[in-house]
Amino acid sequence: MTDAAIVTEKLTRRFGNLTAVDGVDLTVAAGQFFGFLGPNGAGKSTTIKMLTGLLAPSSGRAQLLGLDFARHPVEVKRQIGVVPEGMGLFERLTGAEYLQFVGRMYGLDRPTTQRRSEELLDFMQLSDRPKTLIADYSHGMQKKLALAAAVIHGPRILFLDEPFEGVDALAAGALKALLGRMTERGVTIFLTSHVLEIVERLCSHVAIIDKGRLVAQGSLAELRAGIAGEEGSKTTLEQIFLSIVGQDGAQRPQLEELSWLM
Amino acid sequence: MADVTRLPGVWEQIRLVAGLRWRILGNNLRKKHNQWDLIGMIFIGVFATLFVLGLCFAFYFGAYSFLSGGHEAWIAFLFWGIFLFRQLVPIFTAGFGAGFEFRNMLRFPLSLGAFYAIGLAYGLADFAAIASSCWLMAMIIGVARANPTVLPTMIAVSALFLLMNITLERMIGSWLERILARRRAREIFFAAFVLCAVSLQFLNPLLQRYGRAAQPWVRQVLPYLSVFPPSLAGRAIVGAAQGHFTDVLLGAAGISAYALLFSVFLWLRFATQYRGEELSETAAPERAVVRPISRTAEQSDALQLLTPQVAAVLRKEFRYLTRNSFAFFLLIMPPVFVLLFTTQFAGRHPTATKHAVSTEFFFPGMMAYLILILMAPAYNSFAYDGKGIQTFFTSPVSFREVFLGKNLLQVAMLTFELTLSMAAFSYLVGLPSLPVLVATLAAIVFNVTGQLAIANWSSLSFPRKLNFGQMRGQRQSGMAVLVSFGTQILLGGISAPILFMSRWTGNAWLPAEVFVFLAGAAIAGYTSSLDPLAALAEKKKETLIDALSR
Repeated sequence: MTDAAIVTEKLTRRFGNLTAVDGVDLTVAAGQFFGFLGPNGAGKSTTIKMLTGLLAPSSGRAQLLGLDFARHPVEVKRQIGVVPEGMGLFERLTGAEYLQFVGRMYGLDRPTTQRRSEELLDFMQLSDRPKTLIADYSHGMQKKLALAAAVIHGPRILFLDEPFEGVDALAAGALKALLGRMTERGVTIFLTSHVLEIVERLCSHVAIIDKGRLVAQGSLAELRAGIAGEEGSKTTLEQIFLSIVGQDGAQRPQLEELSWLM
Repeated sequence: MADVTRLPGVWEQIRLVAGLRWRILGNNLRKKHNQWDLIGMIFIGVFATLFVLGLCFAFYFGAYSFLSGGHEAWIAFLFWGIFLFRQLVPIFTAGFGAGFEFRNMLRFPLSLGAFYAIGLAYGLADFAAIASSCWLMAMIIGVARANPTVLPTMIAVSALFLLMNITLERMIGSWLERILARRRAREIFFAAFVLCAVSLQFLNPLLQRYGRAAQPWVRQVLPYLSVFPPSLAGRAIVGAAQGHFTDVLLGAAGISAYALLFSVFLWLRFATQYRGEELSETAAPERAVVRPISRTAEQSDALQLLTPQVAAVLRKEFRYLTRNSFAFFLLIMPPVFVLLFTTQFAGRHPTATKHAVSTEFFFPGMMAYLILILMAPAYNSFAYDGKGIQTFFTSPVSFREVFLGKNLLQVAMLTFELTLSMAAFSYLVGLPSLPVLVATLAAIVFNVTGQLAIANWSSLSFPRKLNFGQMRGQRQSGMAVLVSFGTQILLGGISAPILFMSRWTGNAWLPAEVFVFLAGAAIAGYTSSLDPLAALAEKKKETLIDALSR
């Protein structure tokens, strides 16, 4: 699969004087498991918001599955699934009610919505609380429900902002397997996470954003090739990340300053 | 390795907590960028100061005149006033929402004694505490001026009374915190409060009708009040003024006993908190249910005439309405008000006026009043969606469908409420003449449809998040309220002269004809507003998401 699922050209977003995302040119091929990394406040969530219709770009454009987002927002949204920052749940519905709501919003018929809701709730191990409101779910349960809602319509691109945060190891394992199978079927997954080990294990391609600018993009092998690691050992994504965002010694906070803690 | 060499003393810890609260207050004020919020806060601040100062004078003159005028026994009423204010106001303010959590202090290395002292000190820092302390001071000055020999007793009794009040208020507060930790309990409590507020509307008519009959019963109850702290405080002051020192001792000992009793309960309560109390809202897993085989394929959809998206929004809105105790219980108010006003102003035996108001005027007036109440939430219709608003924007729908779903529920709810109210009205005083009835119904369509378009615009332009079952800090946007009132006044101003046209022209059906035309125009206007509003939603999505996802 070499067709591009996501293409951005000079994608920029300014908030007053602050340029949160600065001329990002991104290309994600269809079927890729794509990791989008960056330090806190680098512009990851702002980029995801622009790619999912939650935020309008100040300039530049985004093309998803060959469609310009600004011109065909509804058609694009029909084909993507999102777990946004904060999850965007209606907390006064039960899990099943929320999934049925989302399914219908994506135009699925009632029987299909009902069947998929039940299957997803079972898969996410949420079906034992049929009457519990989402407001009373734990953070991890809410995350799993948000993931279920993002896939109920069978999207071709899935945007996940910190999907494993707060999810227990058991569910995280099942989710990773599910996401892996989705990419095998050609679904593109665009994921942000601060847990670099997860990204390293799941993603075939990675982009790194720092201070709003895209500073690296490519397959893990390509990124490793650009970094000189210790001889005989494989360079980890953490080493690549630290090397690229300039935290490799020079800018890293000096531990000596906290000597009273050690 | 922690290198703590000493634990700070209790007073140092109290000072730190006081500093923290002061800082939180300052930061909250700094966050009020919105000028409407700031104006609101200034208004409330001025009003609260005037309220406290005004009553300071009242308590001063009360204490002075009772003691100098030979009515010493009446001073108990002043203590009762302070007592009720001190105990009830914190329940109705702090009780409905989570404020600054004093329990957070438990993460620090505090002894139980320090935790108790800080908890008690908390009781000195709210509005009710400050106001009641000011009023007690005013009473002390009044007593000192009227009879200086009573001053030492007044100071001692006031100090004990203050301590007892703080301890009781903290005890009730900590129990409320325990009880209201669960969302369901909070909502039931809130619903009970709304019901009480509605019931109060009936107090005046009930007093008018049964007031005299209830007087002997009230007289029978009064002596039992003498064992309560405010009466005991009054008894001590009377004793001091009349030289009966046994009464002074008994009064003071009684208040001390109450203070001690509440202190013991409060200590036990704080000790439970100190040991670590589970107040989690997350429900325990329920027994797994055997899932029935889906039968929805055979079920017909009651909303099949609507698009799936509009039907989904409508269902979601209905579920939200039934789960929002405040909104849901507000729905019982319109028929109650119809009942109340009708018995007071219309019918054969009005209680508030000598002559009943004509049904020809009263009926349209009541309907206008109901629309005024019921349409208000539509001006901030995303208030309870919270972070869920993002789902509307990530879904492949136009906001036209979102508004249609929300407005349809609003209209359905209005239709139900107005029908119920009309039925109550018809039963009590009968319906007006057919031309007035038709004119009123057409006027309702004109007013509601006209308002919906503006309310949708207001919801996009002035969004404000509201939380379910919570009263504290729940305020609509000032601009949304202004738009709501402005629109209602404008449409009401158009409608009222039209209703009177039949009198001026002698044509009874003329208002109905005009309103039918206006209703048609309003429906056309509403329909054509949906697409521009959907475009506006796209433009406003950032402010909307930002305001509702906080």
